[in-house]
Parts: sequence; C-alpha cells; structure tokens
Amino acid sequence: MSVTVRIPQPLRRFTENRDVIELSAGTVGELLEQLERQYPGITERLREPDGQLRRFVNIYVDGEDIRFLSGLATEVRDGTEVSIIPAIAGGSESVLRC
Amino acid sequence: MNREKYSRQILFREIGESGQERLLRSRAIIIGCGALGAAQAEMLARAGVGFLRLVDRDFVEESNLQRQIMFEERDAAERLPKAIACARRIARINADVQTEPVVADVNYKNIERLITDVDVVLDGTDNFETRYLINDACVKHGKPWIYGAAVGSYGLTMTIRPGVTPCLRCVFEKIPPPASSPTCDTAGIILPVILTVASIQVTEALKLLTGSIEKLHGGVIQVDVWETSFHRVSLQKVRERADCPACRHRRFEFLEASLRQSALTLCGRNAVHISGLGDVSLDLREIAERLKPLGEVTLKEFLLVFRVNGYELTLFPDGHCIIKGTEDMALARSLYARYIGI
Ligand SMILES: [Zn+2]
Repeated sequence: MSVTVRIPQPLRRFTENRDVIELSAGTVGELLEQLERQYPGITERLREPDGQLRRFVNIYVDGEDIRFLSGLATEVRDGTEVSIIPAIAGGSESVLRC
Repeated sequence: MNREKYSRQILFREIGESGQERLLRSRAIIIGCGALGAAQAEMLARAGVGFLRLVDRDFVEESNLQRQIMFEERDAAERLPKAIACARRIARINADVQTEPVVADVNYKNIERLITDVDVVLDGTDNFETRYLINDACVKHGKPWIYGAAVGSYGLTMTIRPGVTPCLRCVFEKIPPPASSPTCDTAGIILPVILTVASIQVTEALKLLTGSIEKLHGGVIQVDVWETSFHRVSLQKVRERADCPACRHRRFEFLEASLRQSALTLCGRNAVHISGLGDVSLDLREIAERLKPLGEVTLKEFLLVFRVNGYELTLFPDGHCIIKGTEDMALARSLYARYIGI
C-alpha cells in the first residue's frame, strides 16, 4: 500500500510518460521530494524557487485542495490519492505554461 | 419551431420540446473561435441556440485546419478572420441561428458589453489574460461561464456559476507566467481532445440553458484521450475557503487595468501579438496607402498584411496586430510603433 500520485500529461515527460506513480510518504512535501529524487526537474514546475507551491498549480489530496488543508504539510497515508492540476492555457496555439 | 429539424434532440427527454424552445430563445457568446471555440460554435449552432456572438482576433491559417473544424482550405487562402469564417459556416449549417461575428481583441473596455446580454459565456481562448478578464466580468455581472483548455491529448474544463461555484481565481489564484518564460513549451495538440473538452463545455451550456442545473458536473474535469483517463475533482469546498478578490471582495483587478497596450509572445509560432486599443476603428485603406512605398501591402476585407524586412504584420481595424518573424516583444512593439504608429 502506498500513496497514488496522478501525473497530468504536461508533466509526464519527466516521468517516462507514466501517469500514475506510487510513492510512500507522510506529507505532500515529502511526496514532492521523493518525486524529485525519482524524476529530477519535475518539481521545478510545481514549486517556486522558495519552495512554495506555484499559485497556478493545484494539488488535491482525496479531492481537497491542499491550500485549504495544511499546504505542503498536508498529511497523506496509504491509499491516499493525490492529483496535480496545473492551469493550462492551451486552446488554439497549443501553448503549455506550467 | 421546426420540430422536424430538432426531432432527435426533442426525443432526448432531458431537453424535450420545452428545452428546445428555450435553446432557440437563448443567447451565447463564444470568446475565441480557434480549436475549442469552433467546435463549440458548430455544436451550439446544430443544437439550435438562437443567437451566437462569435469573437476572435485572429485569421485562419493552414496549420489551423488539422483541428479547427469550422474552417476550410479556402478560408486559409483568403486569410479570413476566424469570427467571419465561423459565422458564414453557421449560416450554411442552421438558418435558425442568428450570429454576430466580432473581429476584435477582447479587453477590459469591451468585455462587459460583450457578455451582459447573453445567457452563457464559453471560453475558447488560448491565454489566461483573457480568461481572467472573462472571469472578472462574469463574476461582476453574475453570468455563468465555462472554462476549457487543451494541450497535447490533455484537457481541463470547469463550469463557473458566480455566487454558487468557485470562480477561476478561487481555483487558480495567480496567472501563469507569460508564454515567453522558459517554462513555455509547445506540446502540439490533437483534434480528439479538443472535441472532448468542447463536448463537455457544450453539454454544460445546454444544461444551463435548459435549466438542468442539478446535472452540472460541479468540479474540474481532467481528461486525457491518449491515456483514456477521465478524472473529476470536486470543488465543493473551494469557494467558501478561498479568499478570492473577485468573489469575496468584489475587486475586479483585470477589469480595472489601466489602458496599456500589451504585447504577448505567441509561443511556438515565432510571432508576437500586440493588443488593440479598445473602441477604435482604423481606416485600413488609408494605412495601406501610407505603407505601400515601404514594403509589400495586401489589403483584405477585414485586415491588412504588411511585409517588410522579413517581418509580417497583420493589422486589424481595432488596432490589434500579429507580428510574425520575431518572439522579441520589444522589437515587435518598435515595429508596431514605426509602421502602424498609433
Ligand atoms: Zn472566486
């Protein structure tokens, strides 16, 4: 048993195209550190240089936005599902900004 | 009402005859008639939504045809503005639908006027600057609007009902960095994801217009047609918790922006977009005469193309301009100042 992280397509080039990753961690912050260790470069897309979550990227833990839980200190446990949703511009120019 | 035309849709019980009558009396605006917008326009026109305002600042190009289902080879050859091409095709699809094409840049000056007399606003834009403007105007005037975006095989959509659901700023607090930033990639796009996102958006619009409010999906939907995944995150708790400038404080920062001509790099297109000036209407013929000695000028019905020193400027009557041949915003601004000079 572990935490399931759903990787949106714009970030999958960091994860060898895997869309679901299983990790074990105690908090969302730890989860991101593990993710970075496994897939270097990925969290630069998610965090500001000071470590805060970028404000156009949302992370949901079992459907709840972590901004309204405890942010990166939000606890996760076995069976938790974590979704990462970056804002995408998209549309006719197929522009990705995340 | 022509019952025969809509018979299969009337048989669908959730719409029925009364729903169809409501659709025919409904008014919608599509902001951005590119890939998503063209698909929305096609579906809403066939469904018999009585009035469609079609707003777009761009013209049809050959590279659009792979995914922008309203346009054809000859539209690209003629560089027809997308709003006009859309309106012409809708006239061939369903004569019950009245259209109002608007070839213009959406900005803080015209957005409120564009949305106040419609029942629903559909997002077909490709940038967050316009989306936050739509969000401010819709929250201010209590208009429902439907966000949608797609890249690669991945798409996102969310339906915003001001005062009821979270708005775009409740969910994404900050505008993503400009397209010129190093985090900008062009990932390409395939038509099926466009049609999937547009289909969800249009279904939501049909529910809103026929009064099936309880059937709205109420979350943010993530879809990936290549992975065949469909994922919905509920946003139920977001609104009461977000300290949103628009919803909670009724502060509409994007509507209050002071008039400043903005430049935006069109990522992956080697082009810069210079925004329009609001309520101006340029005499393109006069500008064409002035530019003729300086380079190659082509004057079309709705736009002017000017080629000089390897750059190509496409100017529209509201002053907005697409400058090809550079991604340098300062250079684009200076070309604009030198040749258009307004
Ligand atoms: Zn809000």
